[in-house]
Amino acid sequence: MTQHRRSHAQRIGLFAAPLAIGALVLSGCSGNSGSSTSDSQSFSLSYAVSTGVESPFETLAKAYMAATPGVTITLNAVPNDSFSQTTSTQFQAGNGSDVIESQPGSGAGQGIITLAKAGFLEPLDDSATALIPSGNENLFQIDGKTYGQALSISFVGNILNQTAATAAGITSFPTDFDGVLADCKTVAASGGKSMFVLAGAAGPNTGALASSIAATRVYAEDPKWNDERTAGTTTFAGTQGWKDSLQAIVDMKDAGCFQGGAEGAGFDAITNGITTGTSLTMFGPSGAAADLARAAAGNTYVVEAFPPATSSDKAFGLASANYSLSLNAASKSKDAAKKFLEWMAQPAQSKQFADAQGSLPVTGLDDLDLTGTNYEPVADIFKNDAYVAFPNTGWPNSSVYDALGTGVQGLLTGQTTVDGVLASMDTAWDQ
Amino acid sequence: MHSDTKTTKPARAHRGAPGPEGLSRARRARGVVGFGHWWWALPGVLVVLAIHYVATGVGGFFAFTDWTGIGSFQLVGLENFQKILADPTKVLALGNTLLLAFGSVVIVNIIGLAIALALNRTLKTRYVLRVLFFMPVVLSPLAVSYIWKFIFDYNGPINAILKSVGLESWQKTWLGDPSFAIWAVLIVIVWQQTGFAMVIYLAGLAGVPVEVEEAAAIDGTTLWQRFRHVTLPAIRPAVAISTTLGIVNGLRVFDQIMALTNGGPAGATETLATQVYKQAFSLANFGYGAALALILSAIILVFAVIQQRVTRGTES
Repeated sequence: MTQHRRSHAQRIGLFAAPLAIGALVLSGCSGNSGSSTSDSQSFSLSYAVSTGVESPFETLAKAYMAATPGVTITLNAVPNDSFSQTTSTQFQAGNGSDVIESQPGSGAGQGIITLAKAGFLEPLDDSATALIPSGNENLFQIDGKTYGQALSISFVGNILNQTAATAAGITSFPTDFDGVLADCKTVAASGGKSMFVLAGAAGPNTGALASSIAATRVYAEDPKWNDERTAGTTTFAGTQGWKDSLQAIVDMKDAGCFQGGAEGAGFDAITNGITTGTSLTMFGPSGAAADLARAAAGNTYVVEAFPPATSSDKAFGLASANYSLSLNAASKSKDAAKKFLEWMAQPAQSKQFADAQGSLPVTGLDDLDLTGTNYEPVADIFKNDAYVAFPNTGWPNSSVYDALGTGVQGLLTGQTTVDGVLASMDTAWDQ
Repeated sequence: MHSDTKTTKPARAHRGAPGPEGLSRARRARGVVGFGHWWWALPGVLVVLAIHYVATGVGGFFAFTDWTGIGSFQLVGLENFQKILADPTKVLALGNTLLLAFGSVVIVNIIGLAIALALNRTLKTRYVLRVLFFMPVVLSPLAVSYIWKFIFDYNGPINAILKSVGLESWQKTWLGDPSFAIWAVLIVIVWQQTGFAMVIYLAGLAGVPVEVEEAAAIDGTTLWQRFRHVTLPAIRPAVAISTTLGIVNGLRVFDQIMALTNGGPAGATETLATQVYKQAFSLANFGYGAALALILSAIILVFAVIQQRVTRGTES
């Protein structure tokens, strides 16, 4: 009988063991996902990383922990290319970090508006509201409630290797499109060099190219263009500025502005070209200038705005808070997380974050003297408030920007036309 | 517990027709061969059901919704499928999927069979060569693809060689050329998969009797006739397995495309698998991506059934 009972118990044990082990494994998996912490002094922070260099988020989190003994911030560094997917999956599963890096607007998966509409974000305090750049309220707020705290201001345009440009005979950045084309021919004639370097196979870079040109062709004349498109009173295909922007890319290609093989190049081509000086200018966010200066110490990199069509058109650019922090609505450490956000909102931390990132502080921008910095060429644009937020932050979904990025590559290979690209963007917008 | 044993024994005795000897034999059988019950497999069955079938079923359900990946969703019926069929880029992706699957299976099997025949018996270095030809199979598709990406790069070795021999006009952006990019992907797939087909054919050729081939040779048949009428019929099961497995694997090609072209230039190398990933996870169109996945699953299912039928036919 004893043996029989033991046998029965063993059977139950055999049956239960896999279930128990499975449950433990699964709970172990979820436990490591950076879920909300319950300790009132501690919280988790999730942010995207793309290089081995210490992230500004990590720098500031460490500084906060040093300044406030007893507080522990669990840092969840997520690879940049999967950050959006990871964030949304964790929120959907209910185990997102307490504080996450977000992106203003709704153009990306971790967009403030996208996540707030889904009910995943907690409204923030007045200190966060005070940091919203003027005119960008719709990228941070829904019904007057703020769901993201701006961290720094990035300028999206051109980064010029001034050292290599001087060596190639380009002493000043062109001020109109004819000048661009003329310089492209001059640089190409110098042998093996190009005026611009482009990662044609990388949608974000081709998108940045088109958006930088559209700043002067579309948004300089009509800063509220996104609102009109949202209202349905205009379309990409029906806007001459967008047509001119994409046609400018075709003209640049024909003038030999881009490096050989640009249509199939990746981001590595940009890094190689701009640091070795075989290409003089890249398209991207201004923070890259600081990274490049660190990577190639012998070169000077400055931030430029892509020139308007003619020199009589006004200079205009794209600048916005591309990075922000948001609070998980399901967080169990809201008070501790809010104290951290309030600390981050202070001018000293804003400056520290911007310095670490190579961008501009979100506070006190009007009083900032950019003379002698790598932002000097675009100082007047900031001074004159001649800029709008990066266009896709106000677009309704990420498919529109994807259609733009893919379409520009199609223009470079001759697979599509200007009208075709714009029509696909309208389709993506209305989906 | 005690009462259980008491009640079960008479019940089995009533049902057990064999009598006392047969009963004890049955007991012995239960003690050795019959050790175990169906429900012992239940945990495994439940895990398989939960991970494979329930997850697939839930994914299939989302194909009929407009879910973005977060938040709420609405049922939209067949709208996602209608959008797919009306979108020429998705039709192109379907065409690329089939091209890569059938293109790779034809080329891989022809080359794989040729190599297997060459390395079957006589060659002294055949063991070393077999290892060399099989080596790409065990490498990560992603690592292999990044090496080939370097080879195809505009500043890579192919263009450098062309330049060095005075063929500069032949230089091109191999992976950025919409007419060549899909073939570049096919080359990489073939390069990596050929070793797998070779191994299957070598296993098949091992079962072909040497005497039969020698008899055919004595009868004065040519090399081609021996292959056509003796070897090929004998390795037909290997052909069936290699081709059908190749098609199913070809339909699921993903890593190579993501690493080489990311679906570009301008969608020229997109397949259903890459579109599923992009739509569901990059562009927040989970419902649409699920519909694409359902179509891809249906296509793979069709070929999996064909594989089963063909294999069963050749076995019988």
